[in-house]
Amino acid sequence: MRFLYLVLASLTIGTLVGHFFSPDFGNAYELMLYVLIFMIGMDLGMNFNAEELRKVGRKALVLPFLTLTGSILGGLLASLILGIEPRWGLAIGAGCGWYSLTGPIIAQYSAVYGAVGFLGNLMREILTIMFYPIAIRKIDPEKAVVIGGATTMDTTLPIITKFGGREVALVAFVHGFILTAVVPFLVPLILSL
Amino acid sequence: MNIFIALTAGLLLGYVLKRLNMRSNLEIPISVALLAMIFFLGVKTGEVQVSGLWLLGVSALFAVLTIAGSLLLAEVVR
Repeated sequence: MRFLYLVLASLTIGTLVGHFFSPDFGNAYELMLYVLIFMIGMDLGMNFNAEELRKVGRKALVLPFLTLTGSILGGLLASLILGIEPRWGLAIGAGCGWYSLTGPIIAQYSAVYGAVGFLGNLMREILTIMFYPIAIRKIDPEKAVVIGGATTMDTTLPIITKFGGREVALVAFVHGFILTAVVPFLVPLILSL
Repeated sequence: MNIFIALTAGLLLGYVLKRLNMRSNLEIPISVALLAMIFFLGVKTGEVQVSGLWLLGVSALFAVLTIAGSLLLAEVVR
């Protein structure tokens, strides 16, 4: 949770600095994005474990597909309701809660929709932390993992494990892992269409 | 396209480091890079004249509908 506060503080300070001073940072933003993407790739490469994928079986492999499809359809519906270009909605939806990646990638094309991609996906993470414990009273804890999207392998995993149980933890981890591997490719692909 | 190059290069390097048993903890460098990038994202956003309330409302709608879409499909299909 502490890191979430740092993220919000960083975004707020940056927005205020941009609004009041409009400083010229050159291409520092793009540079940081590429450094971050490179390190995320490294982290994925170092922690790839095919054994864990085999352990949880077919159901944990189907769940991410449903999460992604549903999220993209939800993003499309939001863009239709708001009357904005569908590709922004598709890209924001394809982010599946990975705000730190989705926002900056979309911002390369549009600063405003980059901010929406960032905040919308950040809110998804916050809503997961707030509502997963409540949702599992009505929904199967394994199915409810879809709420968290790509975040279920890291930031929302402790909440899911605590309230859903240890058996849900592995499903949540693999679910998040698969989405984490797909989202960095899918969001730029949608934007380039 | 540059995103794919950076990601693929990172994946390959990470996999090679894993094979060589030279894993390193990237948690702190990733967190620092992330906070710096979010700051620059904020600067870019702040330069654009947009209503904060509109931004919040639109983002909330996206958050709710993307969650609802995922939950609905998971309930219907499985």
